Amino acid sequence: MQTKLAQLSIFVSKFDRRYLQLAFVLLALVMLVLGAGAPEDGGRGMCR
Amino acid sequence: MSMILLVALLAGLLAGIVLALLQKHVWQVPSLRFLWLVVIGFLPQAVIFYLPPTHSGIPDQVVGSSLIFSQVVLLVFCWFNRRVAGIWILACGLVLNLMVIAANSGFMPISPQTASHVVPATVLAKYQIGSRFGTGKDILLLAENTRLVWLSDQFLPPAWFPYQVAFSLGDILIAAGAFWLMLTQGKPLRSAK
Repeated sequence: MQTKLAQLSIFVSKFDRRYLQLAFVLLALVMLVLGAGAPEDGGRGMCR
Repeated sequence: MSMILLVALLAGLLAGIVLALLQKHVWQVPSLRFLWLVVIGFLPQAVIFYLPPTHSGIPDQVVGSSLIFSQVVLLVFCWFNRRVAGIWILACGLVLNLMVIAANSGFMPISPQTASHVVPATVLAKYQIGSRFGTGKDILLLAENTRLVWLSDQFLPPAWFPYQVAFSLGDILIAAGAFWLMLTQGKPLRSAK
């Protein structure tokens, strides 16, 4: 388990930290707009 | 999926990058604090509205309360980041949506007339007035029985537009805020170093 965590840590450290930060911020912004908004396009749970 | 909101975010990102390039600036990641609040705030909605195994079968009362809780947490995040460009516009939209949702049992109202533009008549006929509209955030209500009807999902794109979606005044502000936030992240190269 510890070996796998270490491997994961090494794998993640190979990425540029700025790209990881960008990905996290973009993901958070996607969650923010999806959570704040409430448009209806009939796409969720509609039995067409 | 709230495609119009994601499109606004993506369009703002692309426009921001192009604008930054034209001005020989560098586009930077928005500097936002307490991002974990967004994760906490969105989590109930992810479970209730977006995960197929869990988005049906949850009592409406729990769904309504969870949506209000979720949006209050997101509003707290906006308050902490109110000085970031675009966030205050987005927060205004969130407040409007939260007001109408809280006033209508925790759901965003949509009238049968508006809903008829979004789904076929055969689908609409399966829903009763006062019931949830699918497994999303909306509830089917007659306009005269809706509190704060002017804040409900009442706007539609032009009929010729291929993607039909009902949206609220709050949604417009949220899309505008997200677009502005992404657009204004171009910083001069010197200050970015």
